[in-house]
Amino acid sequence: MKKSVIRLENVWKTYRMGHVEVNALQGLNLDIQEGEFVAIMGPSGSGKSTAVNMIGCLDVPTKGKIFLDSHDISKLGESELAQIRGRKIGFIFQQFNLVATLTAIENVMLPMIFQGIPEDARMKKAGELLNLVGLGDRMNHKPSELSGGQQQRVAIARSLANDPDVILADEPTGNLDSKTGANVLDFLEKLHHEENKTIIMVTHDQNLAKVAEHIEFLKDGKIIKSTRS
Amino acid sequence: MNIYEVKYALQNFRKRKLRSGLTILSILIGITAIFALLSFGIGIKQYVNQLAEESGGNKLFVQARGVGAPGTDENFFLSKDDVDFMGKMKGVDELVGMYFKVAEIKYNDQKRFYFVSGMDTSKIDFIEETFSIKIIKGRQLKKGDDDKATLGYNYQFDDKIFRNAVNVGDKVELNGRRFEVIGFYEEVGNPQDDTNIYVTGEAFESLYPNSKDKFGFVMISSQKGVKPSELASRLEERLRKFKGQEGGKENFFVQTFEDALATFTTIINVINGMLVLIALVSLVVAFVNIMNTMYTAILERTKEIGVMKAIGARNNDILLIFVVEAGLIGLIGGILGVLLGYFISSIGGSIAAASGFALLKPAYPLALIIGCLVFSLLVGAAAGFLPARRASKLKPVDALRYE
Repeated sequence: MKKSVIRLENVWKTYRMGHVEVNALQGLNLDIQEGEFVAIMGPSGSGKSTAVNMIGCLDVPTKGKIFLDSHDISKLGESELAQIRGRKIGFIFQQFNLVATLTAIENVMLPMIFQGIPEDARMKKAGELLNLVGLGDRMNHKPSELSGGQQQRVAIARSLANDPDVILADEPTGNLDSKTGANVLDFLEKLHHEENKTIIMVTHDQNLAKVAEHIEFLKDGKIIKSTRS
Repeated sequence: MNIYEVKYALQNFRKRKLRSGLTILSILIGITAIFALLSFGIGIKQYVNQLAEESGGNKLFVQARGVGAPGTDENFFLSKDDVDFMGKMKGVDELVGMYFKVAEIKYNDQKRFYFVSGMDTSKIDFIEETFSIKIIKGRQLKKGDDDKATLGYNYQFDDKIFRNAVNVGDKVELNGRRFEVIGFYEEVGNPQDDTNIYVTGEAFESLYPNSKDKFGFVMISSQKGVKPSELASRLEERLRKFKGQEGGKENFFVQTFEDALATFTTIINVINGMLVLIALVSLVVAFVNIMNTMYTAILERTKEIGVMKAIGARNNDILLIFVVEAGLIGLIGGILGVLLGYFISSIGGSIAAASGFALLKPAYPLALIIGCLVFSLLVGAAAGFLPARRASKLKPVDALRYE
């Protein structure tokens, strides 16, 4: 049986907006296993983003438990969470979120800085990763000098910098045309098959979700349907 | 926290040149002013210390209490009897009474008024040691040189005192009497001493017959092992009794050389201190300016902070990045400020020297340079601390959502 990487147990997240309390998550249960390609789908307002924040250890739940590698992280402090994020999870965002003042290679090196990896090692690894995503000739370009697809590939390289087990991709193709989007998706599949990474992809696109082996449908802060192929 | 973050801060800093540049300018001004002012303050202190060392710490002055410079007030003087009395006191090694008056000096039909000093030729080495001046051209006055004079440094140059420079062997007229110039003293560094005229005591007495045996001040050296300050209080008490004067109403006062220098130094320090204080105000402005720049930078880079946190930056990492960035603004302002301050005080020193105030010579000890740099770094880092703390406390989720 496969090991579970991330498990959410009856997770609630309540936001207070003025006097009104909004439950973004209402008892969410989720079990993601090692090496899986998971798609999380749901209409807007379904709690997708909140769920991603929980899975990515960016936020802690109001109620419930989150296990990462069977350690409960729902009560950890900000700095401990940051360390865990940096090591275990690679983020890919819809808006790429590269640091505009840094070059491609500097962006890829950034996560390694926070893990205290020496400069030589950082440089070497970042170079390898940029080659892997096919941007070996764009290392010293700034994000503004790269196309959307190229920027997202830099972001993919950055997400791999600390060799994380899990890649969390939040609408990774949302800002790309369909051809480049398909290209990015190919990369994710490649990572899944060749590197055995756990990929968690949030999307509202049925067609994208098809590449996943495991699809969770979210509505009103709960899973309403779960399919495994 | 580690050194790599410092590099990251440096990179960011380089890439936002304009705003960093403007902020640097604000701290630069303060550091420039502080550096230049302190370099003068230290320079004067060094000059005073050197003076104290050269003339030795064992000198005292007894001065007639009058209006204006010693000797210029006819009614107050120390008599020959006073000098003889003090000469017999225990602890007194050597002493000499000095004549001092304003004279008209004429050279090539040009007239000027300066102080003339009458010196006891048998005590001339003692006098030179006390004033720590030496003849740099020609020779000293000696006994019998009653139609000869030595002059202060400034007489040797065209357009400084007279249209033409005075040379050894030239004739000048003092109050209408002709004197031959036989030597010049080295530069003291203030326009009064460098314009003095020196003649023998006998010559002085014949120039001012009414002033015979009326001394403006008396210079004394204490014997080895006798503390000048103790000798000073003993002198004051004994001389008062000798002259039959009441305590607090004496027409003279005794001051050790050290006291005189200390008074001078205190005045300089107070003036300098006030100027530095004013300069510090400009640093407060710089402090606020850096703070403002950092708050703006943090607003601008909120999303970036969110990204950094998402990919593993801890609160302390973010804090360090921004504190280092602010400190760097301070340090660069400090480096430029020290350079500009050096430039300005060097020019200021040259101007002062050209106008006869050679004692206003700036000094640049290493401690001053390092002190200014460290100070500017700390001002920057301190100004960046609160903004950096706010940045470090941002929640990654909120920061990422920020547009």
